[in-house]
Amino acid sequence: MNVDAVSAVFREVLEISEINADSDFFVMGGDSLLATRVLSAVARASGVELEFDDLLDAPTPGALSKKIAGAA
Amino acid sequence: MTRHDRTVTYAELDAWVRATARRLGPDPGVVGVLTSRSAGTVAALLGTLAAGGVYCPIDPAYPWPRREALMAASGCRVVIGEPGSAVPPGVGLTPLPGPAGLLDADGRGEEPGGSAVAGRVAVSPDDPAYILFTSGSTGEPRPVVTPRGAISVVTAGLRELFGITPEDRVLQFASLNWDTCLEEILPALTSGATLVFHDHAYAGSLHRMLRMIDAERVTVLDLPTAFWHELVHHLTAERAALPPSVRLVVVGGEAVSPVRLADWRALGLDGVRLLNTYGCTETTLITHAVDLHGPHAAAGAPDDRVPIGRPLPHVVERISEEGELLVGGPALALGYRDRPEATAERFVELDDLTPGGDGPRRYFRTGDRVSRRPDGALVHEGRLDHQLKVRGVRVDPGEVEAQIASHPRVGAVAVVGVPVAGHTTLAAYVVPRSPAGPASPAMTGSLAREVLDYLREHVPAHLVPHRITVVPELVHTASGKVDRAGSHRRYRSAAV
Repeated sequence: MNVDAVSAVFREVLEISEINADSDFFVMGGDSLLATRVLSAVARASGVELEFDDLLDAPTPGALSKKIAGAA
Repeated sequence: MTRHDRTVTYAELDAWVRATARRLGPDPGVVGVLTSRSAGTVAALLGTLAAGGVYCPIDPAYPWPRREALMAASGCRVVIGEPGSAVPPGVGLTPLPGPAGLLDADGRGEEPGGSAVAGRVAVSPDDPAYILFTSGSTGEPRPVVTPRGAISVVTAGLRELFGITPEDRVLQFASLNWDTCLEEILPALTSGATLVFHDHAYAGSLHRMLRMIDAERVTVLDLPTAFWHELVHHLTAERAALPPSVRLVVVGGEAVSPVRLADWRALGLDGVRLLNTYGCTETTLITHAVDLHGPHAAAGAPDDRVPIGRPLPHVVERISEEGELLVGGPALALGYRDRPEATAERFVELDDLTPGGDGPRRYFRTGDRVSRRPDGALVHEGRLDHQLKVRGVRVDPGEVEAQIASHPRVGAVAVVGVPVAGHTTLAAYVVPRSPAGPASPAMTGSLAREVLDYLREHVPAHLVPHRITVVPELVHTASGKVDRAGSHRRYRSAAV
């Protein structure tokens, strides 16, 4: 999943259009519950099953797409 | 209890509980337990009760000042935790032995029928069993003291309501720092059922969680409503299946979304009981329940207003003229520890209305406005105060405001609940204390970050607003009070 695909997931889950590669999921209103939706969408699109701690560690589309690429 | 490939039998738990009680000694008073999602915390809970003590869970993830405040407010002198756990000076620490170590060392030769501690511990149903904290408007958490009789009556009621049998495998999901975990632990362990701990229950991947539920043959799930909403979304969007082992799903903590309920009903899970529940910490776990779907659900129930349910047999309910739900009966808390005014405000004596009734009765004012449907079930209409539910936890915005106002550079503050994608999050509007001239963006930006760091050092994560906006002044009502909603409306677009 590239940065744009992850950004699109953030936009859909947070229902906020202003998301760029450096937008922090948790600063934009994401919480541990909405995180499960991001993780489900990532697993569906990429086959990579990440956990909540991965998103805490990489909370932006830029960082998360690198993590997905690293795990794939 | 099981965790991954490890099992703690009832005999091992019994020995573990006795060893814990023996180590504490008789009547240890309030025992702080540094919790973890483990059988050890369950042994510490039961060992404390067996010794005649009062259990008080303390989240080791909380910032240090918060833990210290909770220990002071609960009056605990002894803390159970792993050796090396940080506790304040003057507090004794009892390291918690594991069952393996126990059986190899202390536990060898322990007779299952032996007394729990040296000498018999005399306890009455009115003695306190545990202390848990709820949010108060003054900025200090309120310690709720629950008597032993309350947990006995509610545990029996929940065994009946859930229909727990020795064949059941109940997933341990709730945080061990809140009372909901007792809905999982106590009915299961008093029925001979298995309590299943597993890391995949809390790691955030629903794919892994569902596979784990299947592999562990979990039969009962007790989930916060907000999490259940995400589960339904996942099952629907991913076309995933709920494992066939699950027979009962209990939800509670906030209002069930009619949309998610309709989605659930479309999943073809007609053999699975979906049970909605309601209760307050002050009224002990669950007081109201209703089957929303499955074999016991009433047919043709309207979907648009999801009920919180009917009172359980031990509950006496009453609705005030303002529509506030009052709860009486043997499961009421004793009150808030060392807070006589707050206790008198929320726990009230009212005359029995029924002819020939047995005099005045004690009720807890829930603060929840309700109405009654034609079928007798209650529907939640809102709060009478400003309390919010953030991730299923009761939060008084006044508590967060008091914490933020204690920062030396903050002059005034308003905290509001803001919906983000259907979830309630907290937003704070902060006025700097006597700013010298117009505040520069760099200054206000640094104050927002400073307040955020300050909060993270002082309060649990659910009390930290996700957004802090520095503003020149708050909006006030005609009577001069801070208008939280008005402040939010004026500055929401200024928020970054």
